[in-house]
Amino acid sequence: MLKLVEFIKKVYLPLLFVVLEIVAIHYYAHSNSYAEARLLSTSNSIVGGVYGSISGVSEYFGLRKRNRVLLDEMAALQNELTRYRESEVYKELDSLGAEVETKFSYMTARVVRNTVNRQHNYLTLNKGQRDGVEADMAVITPDGAMVGYVVSCSERYAVAISILNTNFNASGKLAGDGHSGSIYWDGFDVHRVKMHELSKYAPVEVGDTIVSTGYSHFFPEDITIGYIEHLEVDEPTSSFKVELRLAADMTRLNDVVLIKNFDIYELTALEAEANSLFRN
Amino acid sequence: MMRKIIEYALLFVVLVLLQIFLFSNLELSVYLNPLIYIAFIILLPIETMPVLVLGLGLLTGVVMDVATGAAGLNTLATLPVAFLRGGLLRLTCSKDSVTDGGVPSVYRLGVLGFVRYVVAAVIMHSLIYFTMECATFDYFHLTLLRVVVSGAVTVAIVYFASKIFNSQVARVL
Repeated sequence: MLKLVEFIKKVYLPLLFVVLEIVAIHYYAHSNSYAEARLLSTSNSIVGGVYGSISGVSEYFGLRKRNRVLLDEMAALQNELTRYRESEVYKELDSLGAEVETKFSYMTARVVRNTVNRQHNYLTLNKGQRDGVEADMAVITPDGAMVGYVVSCSERYAVAISILNTNFNASGKLAGDGHSGSIYWDGFDVHRVKMHELSKYAPVEVGDTIVSTGYSHFFPEDITIGYIEHLEVDEPTSSFKVELRLAADMTRLNDVVLIKNFDIYELTALEAEANSLFRN
Repeated sequence: MMRKIIEYALLFVVLVLLQIFLFSNLELSVYLNPLIYIAFIILLPIETMPVLVLGLGLLTGVVMDVATGAAGLNTLATLPVAFLRGGLLRLTCSKDSVTDGGVPSVYRLGVLGFVRYVVAAVIMHSLIYFTMECATFDYFHLTLLRVVVSGAVTVAIVYFASKIFNSQVARVL
């Protein structure tokens, strides 16, 4: 018995360490963007206010207010413009020109916290559920460059996955052309992302603009992602390996525009139904 | 004893706040992410019970995980440092200075010994953190660069933190 106590005394510390370490690794390995964003949402409800005031110090007070007014105005204009654009399309398709509802709505938010020095970077925005922010809304800069999309919301704050997150996925295409590929971040350069699966027959040149496709439910079509900086043909997959310079400067984000896709539930429900049909 | 606990509690709070509101939000480069909170484990008194060091390592890791939304990553990097701290001390410093105890500092361990100890602990912590964050060995040279750049900044900050902390301790006593 005494020997057992001696033995336990000798090994309890390494044992405790191994158990704790395994739990931590297990937790980390099974976490995903949604779990991480939920954690951030929780901490934002405690310290979000401090982030807000810290980021506020960096802006001139008067300028900030004027900027906000301008951005709100821009969002309102965007709303109106979309309505006109879409009614134009419908008029062409249907001479009756029925009243149509817009598919996207816009609102502005301020970035109160943004990281770029991690592999999984997130943004915290100063608008949340009570302002009408929901998960899956697109986040872009005021001049229309892709930033990320919202993954989690608390009452007053929203957490968005940044394009600088190795779990971020989006599809991009050549502006004015149908050829598309997928966009991802390799985790090391805050101004550049990669694109692969772009057909090697696509008419691309260095300097061309890559914009979002309409395929993803998060982003409307033609949101600027970046500009081609380097091109290389990958023969085995007969596609281009492309390096893009991001249109958005992720290290200097202050204000962003949020875009809500009203059709997202209908689209995801429809796709889920189609999926289940073919699975059986 | 009570005074010591209060001093370390203060150190913990200051380091955590600095980490969350300043060092984690440096919007400069992916290579610059100094994980300065490890200074808390490094600066615990040498004679602290190993199980207490491990417990405080767990606490530090969990607090940082919740605050920065990095589910488990800080914990899994901090625990090995806390567990192997005694070993690192014995490896990097003379036997006498370790058995004497006290707060690790240039005064207790000598400049060379203290710097060796801090570098070893910081590199160990950063290496685990950045490797696990990447979760791949594909870009290992770039991961190493992150360890070196962020680690160097962290070592400098821990060095100054220990100077300030020790002068504070000296003044209060």
